Amino acid sequence: MNIIYYLPLILIFLASIISIKYRSSGYILSAISSIIFIVFTYKTFDYLTYFYLIAGIVWIITSIYSLSYGKNYGKWLAPLFILTIAGMMTILYANNFFVFIAGWEIMSVPAYLTVAINKKNDIEAYVFMFFSEISTILIIVSAILSYYYTGSLTFNKINNDYVLLIFTLGAMSKMGLTPFMISEWLPIAHGSAPANSSAIFSATMTLMGVYGITKLALLSPVSEIIGVLFMAIGIISVMFGALYAYISENMKSLGGFSTIENNGTLLSAIGLYVAINNNILRTFVLISILIFAMAHSIAKTGLFLTIGNTGTEYFSGVSENNGILNQVGKFFILSSLSGLFPGLGGLGTWMILESFFMGAFLQGTIGISSIIGGSLLAMGEGFATAAMFKVYYFTDNRNNKKNKNSLETYTIFSTGALLVFLFLISFLLIGKEYISGIPNVLIFNGFMIESRFSSVDFGLLSPLYIAFIILIFTLLAYIIFGKPKTRSVKRWNTGIENNEIYNSFIYSSNIRLMLKKILKTHSGKNELETVDVFWYFMIRTASSYRKLTKYISYKIMNSSISTYMIYMIIAFISIIVIVSLY
Amino acid sequence: MQSFNKKNGRYIGRYKNYDAYLNKIVKLSGENEGDINEKLPGEMVFNYGPSAGGLEESVNFKIITPGEKINSVRVDSSFKRRNIKILNNNIYDALLKIERINGYHSASNSICFLLAVENALNIENNESNNKRVIEIELERIRSNLHIVKGLTESAGFSVPEKQLSYLIEEVSRIISEAFKHRYFFGANYINNVRCNFNNLNENILKIKKEFLSIYEDLLASKIFMDRLQENGTVKDINSTGPAARASGYNYDARLDSRSLFYESYKIFTMNSGDVFSRFMVRSDEIFSSIELIENIKVKENINKDYDLNKSGSGNARIESPQGDLFYHLDIKDGKINDIIMVSPSYINIKLFEKAMRGNIFTDFFFVWESFGIWISEKEVNFI
Amino acid sequence: MSQWFLRGIKKGIKTEKNFKDKYKPYYPSKLEGKSDYNCPVNAIKNGEWDENKCIYCGKCDLNPTKDEKIYKINDAMPEMFKKSFYIYPLDSGTCGACNAEFNSIFYPQYDANRFKIFLSNTPRHADALLLMGVYTENMHDVIKNAYDAMPDPKVIIGFGSCALTGGIIGSSINEKFNVEIAGCPPSPYTIISAILKYKGDIK
Repeated sequence: MNIIYYLPLILIFLASIISIKYRSSGYILSAISSIIFIVFTYKTFDYLTYFYLIAGIVWIITSIYSLSYGKNYGKWLAPLFILTIAGMMTILYANNFFVFIAGWEIMSVPAYLTVAINKKNDIEAYVFMFFSEISTILIIVSAILSYYYTGSLTFNKINNDYVLLIFTLGAMSKMGLTPFMISEWLPIAHGSAPANSSAIFSATMTLMGVYGITKLALLSPVSEIIGVLFMAIGIISVMFGALYAYISENMKSLGGFSTIENNGTLLSAIGLYVAINNNILRTFVLISILIFAMAHSIAKTGLFLTIGNTGTEYFSGVSENNGILNQVGKFFILSSLSGLFPGLGGLGTWMILESFFMGAFLQGTIGISSIIGGSLLAMGEGFATAAMFKVYYFTDNRNNKKNKNSLETYTIFSTGALLVFLFLISFLLIGKEYISGIPNVLIFNGFMIESRFSSVDFGLLSPLYIAFIILIFTLLAYIIFGKPKTRSVKRWNTGIENNEIYNSFIYSSNIRLMLKKILKTHSGKNELETVDVFWYFMIRTASSYRKLTKYISYKIMNSSISTYMIYMIIAFISIIVIVSLY
Repeated sequence: MQSFNKKNGRYIGRYKNYDAYLNKIVKLSGENEGDINEKLPGEMVFNYGPSAGGLEESVNFKIITPGEKINSVRVDSSFKRRNIKILNNNIYDALLKIERINGYHSASNSICFLLAVENALNIENNESNNKRVIEIELERIRSNLHIVKGLTESAGFSVPEKQLSYLIEEVSRIISEAFKHRYFFGANYINNVRCNFNNLNENILKIKKEFLSIYEDLLASKIFMDRLQENGTVKDINSTGPAARASGYNYDARLDSRSLFYESYKIFTMNSGDVFSRFMVRSDEIFSSIELIENIKVKENINKDYDLNKSGSGNARIESPQGDLFYHLDIKDGKINDIIMVSPSYINIKLFEKAMRGNIFTDFFFVWESFGIWISEKEVNFI
Repeated sequence: MSQWFLRGIKKGIKTEKNFKDKYKPYYPSKLEGKSDYNCPVNAIKNGEWDENKCIYCGKCDLNPTKDEKIYKINDAMPEMFKKSFYIYPLDSGTCGACNAEFNSIFYPQYDANRFKIFLSNTPRHADALLLMGVYTENMHDVIKNAYDAMPDPKVIIGFGSCALTGGIIGSSINEKFNVEIAGCPPSPYTIISAILKYKGDIK
């Protein structure tokens, strides 16, 4: 057993312990171990290892951000935060179900605690725990099934797709996708944690689900039915996630909804991957999933950091105007999340949509579902753009001045810059078979990405060329027209001063009113309220769930921190035992 | 000043801190304007006015809305509040100012004022009764035409709008010919009217013919009807004038007031209380007013000097084009000692606010035009 | 839609090429003669008649002539307004008659648009601010805002005796007017001829 290979894992657990006493050292060590993790695990070229890269980048960003941000929270935040990362790292190290499940629990339990400690009210933590434990149970079931079919707990090729289906259901519960309260629990839970934890919950915890599903999808046979099912679930999640993100007033829950939307996109792409039998297209879809996941995770981290930087949870509470660095970083993060160039998200969205539209050529059920799916995904992206613009505009309070650049600002800026950088070098991340060039129009060989499902290319994109064109045209416009000439005159508001401020709620009221039927908009006691239809249908079940979880927690967990701690210690010991066994 | 504590008869309106009922005036005890709708979170206040292209007068609307729907409207009419020095004026100087309370309904105001004076000083006014009826009915025709024109304008119907404008101007010319002033300024005296009715019947019949054809075409237009029907519905027992008659209340000072004598008058009511009903009632009143003018016989003017340096107090209530107009006067040695003027616009504004609740922006102007509200007569402060 | 179109065609042109003298109102119009009437608005002083102060009540011995030219032009119109003249009416405290009379110049009989006179919906697009009514406290700022919102060059038109002198109701808005249109209220004949005179279209 190569101890060096497991060095990052050991370091991160060590960081978790150190951080109980020395907060900053813990965060620094966690960042260092993440760097080592990237270097050590990225040695072999395999598309799955992209997940390591993605997770590592997010951990580094959040750890550095926490150095400054974490000051505002109690001493428990650092160890819990780092322990969550340790759990995820365990998942990524896992090559059998047992370690995977152990990591899954080490990741989840500190997360409930973070939420429980942050909020006075325990209910968010219980909700979070409930849905996470459902996922754990389902994953255990899939592990047993896998053992039944293959005779081993190691990840092996499986001949049928039950394991994939059950595992995906479990992961979906964690990712907050459609049947599992599309919009309620995940935004509530993610929105109730401190921003750095929200970031890793949204960006990497759900990524672990995607990782697991992708891993099993690679091992499972092609299945049209399961593929289309995944696509349908994914697309419904995209539509509703984006819609609810748009009308959300709580910034962190907006981030949570956006996560659902992105995870929906990923799941539907995995569905496409599972459904099709064309190897060239399959590989392209796989790369799309990875690029999109990378863009989503990094940008989502950036989104939560941006939100955390405002120091409040609701748009209405935003009181400061951010500096230029922050705004530039924010712009690239949000444009990436909106699926626009020149962020990596633009490329990810392009690749996913290309995959779906190429699927149309396969004809039959797949052809029809993929063309419909592609169009709906594109529509969801439109909503997402509106939601992201809301974040961009309303996280600045233009009436007030600020603000000195802090470490947080630099982290946000670097996250934005990283997304652009990754976009520019994205041709390096994609397999050679999809790279070419057209030297006639100055796109040199090796700089152009081709989407294809056969030997002939379907679509073309050159990130550097796009960046070049944007730059040239901006400069040209500047040179020709100079600085924009504006003339400010007194405004005329039919004779009197207007005191009304255009706020985020009114920004999204159009959709509230237009989609009255879906959102069940009505004038509530205090404001224009919308009802989440899923919540609307599930409210009764949910309330009985709540009673049950409360009962369980009172009887078994007794809702005391010490019980959680014992539970965590057991999980911790079990992982050490397992690691030493191998 | 009359001051009672019990309500009597239907509600007429409010002036300062007096509430007027059919037979009584009640002094309010520190009551304010009533329910003020606070903006809820998620709603915005859309400000419209005081001065905008679509508004004829200076008035401000605070429209509370979450988007397209209007949750409530506050009409702030105080922008053009005029302080008019009328106390201690003699009757004729006061009359000049009364004429200018509401120029568009100047005849109603000055006649009602004069009736109150005549009532206070016990002056016989038989001779001028019918001339005054003609004045008020001509004014009603023009006012109602103006409102129908406003409705067609809101619907974007340019042809009927222009043709109705044409009729309005024709009526103004008829008035100008008969009374030497397009707005009856200076035409009214104590028991006397400066008038000349030579071509009146002939001209007014032309108006009837023209309006009938426009009216029929408007009724045949499905688009126009769709915009009016079930729009701005309001049914309130405290309503006045055409708005009351459009919602099934047979309130009409031509029937229940003795200030001005109408020989025969048939009331026309509708039940639904929407913009369409108000349109129907007003259109019908144009025809019935024309009919009244056609059939009325006027007596010769008598030139007589009246002794106005007396004391007394009196009331008068007439049906102005928009509803009950009420004057209460207290005269001391020929000077105005106290005056209460209750105009229909007070109630109509309340009705408008009520009718707009839950409506949408595109219907705003239909509802506003249909009430024929004049801010000038509401915002008068006699000092 | 076609029925309205046909209606419009059928009616023919109703715009009056030359103003019909017959319909010119007696009041307000230029008054003639001598009077020693104790005018409540002091329009007659030492036998001199002031058209701006007069409220045309008809109580004095002066005789109406039906001559609509009761206006004063105080300076030359900026050249750029001659092709199109956009007016923004602003009601400071009227009785409503001025508003109605001003609107009536766009009625078919007069059709002011043919004289290149237009109504603006906002002061920001207006060439002239047409003020009517007496001074009222609450409208003071509104008028100021409207004037500030107008692009240069801009003119102010005083409309009716209330705006010019306060009439019988109150006090004047107290502005210097480029054009003073007298009358209580000014008749459409007066309004159009005043603006045409200002534009230099008539002598």
